[in-house]
Amino acid sequence: MIACVAVVGQQNNPLFIESFTEGEDELKFHYIVHCSLDVIQEKVSNPKKTGSAMNETFLGLLYPTEDYKVYGYLTNTRVKFLLVTTDQDVRDIDVRNFFRRFHAAYVDAVSNPFHVPGKRIISKAFTERVGAIVKSFGAPTT
Amino acid sequence: MADAPKKGTLRAAYRRAADIKPRDARTWQVSLNAFAFLFSEMVQYNQTRVDNIAELEHRLEHAGYGVGLRMLELLCHREKKRSKASWNSLICPQHPMEIALWKDSLEKGTENEDEYMISEKELLVNRFISVPKDMGAFNCGAYVAGIVKGVLDGSGFPARVTAHFVPVEGQPRPRTTILIKFSEEVLQREARLS
Repeated sequence: MIACVAVVGQQNNPLFIESFTEGEDELKFHYIVHCSLDVIQEKVSNPKKTGSAMNETFLGLLYPTEDYKVYGYLTNTRVKFLLVTTDQDVRDIDVRNFFRRFHAAYVDAVSNPFHVPGKRIISKAFTERVGAIVKSFGAPTT
Repeated sequence: MADAPKKGTLRAAYRRAADIKPRDARTWQVSLNAFAFLFSEMVQYNQTRVDNIAELEHRLEHAGYGVGLRMLELLCHREKKRSKASWNSLICPQHPMEIALWKDSLEKGTENEDEYMISEKELLVNRFISVPKDMGAFNCGAYVAGIVKGVLDGSGFPARVTAHFVPVEGQPRPRTTILIKFSEEVLQREARLS
């Protein structure tokens, strides 16, 4: 079950945070996403220590808390995508697919000429697409 | 949209343009005529709202800037791997955008350290445009210069980009050169890293 997805911009400013569980405190997700930014920064500046390849956009599991796991994805334009999930067994390929589709939806949202780069993403179509991607996350594929 | 857009506004032009479907949906090619029409409308729209040539060029460049930013995102999405080199160093030929659009034609200017040039026989946007004599050295390639500026700015290389006509002997129409002048901080960063 995906708890939250977030898009963070180049200056670490939040562009989009959406939570998908009812009754949860949204501020908690803001904190989690904010903490993950530090982990991303560490991974980017020390690639050899943390083991991730220099050329990889998908950063993998950033850090597990007691309830959640956080996955990260970094684009060439330094925009970060974060995925907070409550699942205990999540396949790597599922997360990669999720981020691939999420990246496509993000590019489409940014291509909107009425979107101001650096400001929050307020497109309803983007929100719906993200909702659809989240719903189909983890669905068994044949 | 809550109210119908007024005729002649840019939003109206954009909505009309949205009806221009790609000829072949699989390859997403758009006809040159459609693009030329849209571009001419854009130039005319700006022409009625400015007082002088410099401002017109500035507006076209501003329009191209937004396109450049978005193109960068799109190109980064299509390129599978993340190349770190393009973030830190000035190795422009490795820059994804330059590779995608101008494979080999990025040259270094001779006068200054911080100037690079892209030279094209004829810019696509200028193909159906002839500039009246009283507009002097105005070049609609300012739009393309804006695109390049947007791409460079988006990837962390702030620069001043301009388009110039360069007359060449033996050819009726002059070549177009896009001049890229990087800002101070880029040069300092480059000096620090190399």
